[in-house]
Amino acid sequence: MSDTSALELPNDFEFDDTFLHSRKEALIILGIWFVCLLWTIPYCYLNGFADPAAETTSIATVWGIPSWVFWGVGLPWLLADIATTWFCFAYMKDDNLGEAHEGADLEEQHEMAEHAEDQA
Amino acid sequence: MSEFPSAIFAANSNPALITFLLYTLAVFGIAGLSNQLLKGRSFLSEYFLGSRSLGVWAFALTFAATSSSGGSFTGFPSLIYTHGWILALWISSYMVVPICTMGLLGKRLNQIARISGSITVPDVIRDRFRSVSLGLLAVLLIVFFMSFNLVAQFKAGAMILKTLLQDVAVFENSARTLGSLTSGVSLFGDDPQYLLCLISFGIAVIIYTTYGGFHAVVWTDVMQGVVMVIGVLIMLPLTLDAVGGMENATQEMAQMQPPAYRKLVLTPRDADSIPASLPLGTWLTVPADSSDELPRIFRLAEPARFEQTGRAFVKALEIKTTNERERFVSQNPHATEAATLTANRIAVSLTDEEETAAYGNDQSGSYVTGPGPSKSNPNGFLPLSLAISFFFMWSISGSGQPSNMVRLMAFNSSTTLRRSIFTVAIYYTAIYFPLVIIFCCARVLMPGMEVESDRIMPAMAVFITENAGVGWLAGLLVAAPFAAVMSTVDSFLLMISSALVRDIYQRNMNPDVQERTIKRLSYWCTLIVGTAAMFGAMNPPEFLQNIIVYTGSGLAAAFLAPVAYALYWPRVNAVGAMAAMVGGFLAHLSMYVAGMFVNDSFFNPYRLFDFDPILVGLFSSFLAGWVVTKATPPPPTDLVQRYFGKQTA
Repeated sequence: MSDTSALELPNDFEFDDTFLHSRKEALIILGIWFVCLLWTIPYCYLNGFADPAAETTSIATVWGIPSWVFWGVGLPWLLADIATTWFCFAYMKDDNLGEAHEGADLEEQHEMAEHAEDQA
Repeated sequence: MSEFPSAIFAANSNPALITFLLYTLAVFGIAGLSNQLLKGRSFLSEYFLGSRSLGVWAFALTFAATSSSGGSFTGFPSLIYTHGWILALWISSYMVVPICTMGLLGKRLNQIARISGSITVPDVIRDRFRSVSLGLLAVLLIVFFMSFNLVAQFKAGAMILKTLLQDVAVFENSARTLGSLTSGVSLFGDDPQYLLCLISFGIAVIIYTTYGGFHAVVWTDVMQGVVMVIGVLIMLPLTLDAVGGMENATQEMAQMQPPAYRKLVLTPRDADSIPASLPLGTWLTVPADSSDELPRIFRLAEPARFEQTGRAFVKALEIKTTNERERFVSQNPHATEAATLTANRIAVSLTDEEETAAYGNDQSGSYVTGPGPSKSNPNGFLPLSLAISFFFMWSISGSGQPSNMVRLMAFNSSTTLRRSIFTVAIYYTAIYFPLVIIFCCARVLMPGMEVESDRIMPAMAVFITENAGVGWLAGLLVAAPFAAVMSTVDSFLLMISSALVRDIYQRNMNPDVQERTIKRLSYWCTLIVGTAAMFGAMNPPEFLQNIIVYTGSGLAAAFLAPVAYALYWPRVNAVGAMAAMVGGFLAHLSMYVAGMFVNDSFFNPYRLFDFDPILVGLFSSFLAGWVVTKATPPPPTDLVQRYFGKQTA
């Protein structure tokens, strides 16, 4: 989404570091989400969905939890927590978010109104 | 296996009442402290955004508590009880909800709100695109969706409170008095207990939110978040102890079959003493043909009202699994009551009218495998397409909720964001997976709760604490549901109020308004919006749970794409963002409108390729935004420079 082809930006334009870091981090997050999706849904579907005609009176378990839930939800959940921990403490950058310009929007609104009046 | 405590709900009474009173006192105290913070700071920024100063604990817990609405402790346990282990898959995307909902947009949204000085989500959108009409559209959508949602959440809060306080003598007497005062006034509805709960809950939330603003909401969220996690972590070992271990519970569930619903005819044995009615939940047994067989066991799914003829036709649930019937007869004190009732007072005969589960009928194992038993869906509770939809819904559409976005604008640094994502990840792990375990065990411990499954949380709280000999703990456990719903209501209330005061009045009608006037307006607006929602909930429309689902997914369909484009795509322009917002809103709405024609109900939406409308809405929104942006001129260079160019200190 960094398409700037139709934008006419000055030659010395540089993207802000916080933007660049956030964009990279968002892509990593989507990657983690996608891996979890690819693990959880197919695994549970293939191992946990019963044949409608079949009778089940006992089920394989791990620590009392149905094994398809343990390996299909419990384990990826644990790994997702580990990935989150890595992301938060080893990957995500501490960017400067800047000072809050309280009232900047109202000032801009005033300027635009004055500009419009001048033009009129 | 432990025995049933004799009076489950009666014992629940005092702890719940005391907890609610202590809670109310605590939130008022917090509101008072928060109000002190309003002095000497920019009022609007403090009242609606906490001066962007939230640290790790405040930010993490307010985010977590606001996202976990009352449904996490009422609807979700009820679903687990009704459908079994498949709910682990249904909720599974909570493994990535914290990193997605906080990490995808958090840092950039906070930065852009700081650059523009924005206080609300419509503020951000309006300033980022320098478009008054886009800002107004955002306000309209937020007010539209959130007003309905607020009424629904008020009702949910009142219902939870009513459930918790049932059988408390003081409460019943007060409700009776209120009922005599309001009888005949249609505005107040015909359920004085509900009305009393709504007024108590509503007044408490409205006062502390109005007086304390954002910081009061955040601090009460912190308290509520702590109560929720402590409640769950205490319930888990007590439940496992009561059920005799997880392995035992799962293997028992593997043998269970979904109950059937049958129409019964009840006839008093003595024609001279016809009872007026039998309450919902009454147990009845019908002796088997031969004496060595177990009796058939029924539980009334609705109150039985006896006609002039002396008979009552009533729907009842039948426990079908042999194990459950054996346990009921040998351990449940209701068994003797039921046998006596049917032997001495009421003759029960069965009609041919029977409703069986559309999926899982007569099938052992359906509670421990997918797609889970379902009363109405022949494909089961969670077929593959819906499993994918829900994985998408919780994690991705959660990022598109304006109530979450406001919180993302309020933390004080990116270090806080990093630590908070981690904290919420651990927090959700400690809540959601244990909830699945606890309420799967509840299936084994408390049969027949399908007839009032929304009460499973307080019922379990009382059951397991009594069982462990610590009945006083029930109060703390039952506090979790109303803590959850309170933390959602207060946030929504403040969002609507900020949309009216900041986005409509100050930004569009009177930019030069004095701070004193803004202050007064903010207080009045919060008070009036809250009171209006409370009155709306006195006679709430039907389908409230469906309204919550529709509004929640509708907000995500309308807001996620424009905000994501605004943060990450320099080329996007105001027209493109408008197309994304309108496109998402209309595509999502069209699925519900199509439901009126295809499924005969607005709230039973058409599912394109069996996927939930949220996926259609999000896809259309991103596509419309991209196509329209590409087809229209780029945004002004100075706007791109301002929000994407290197920031100078």
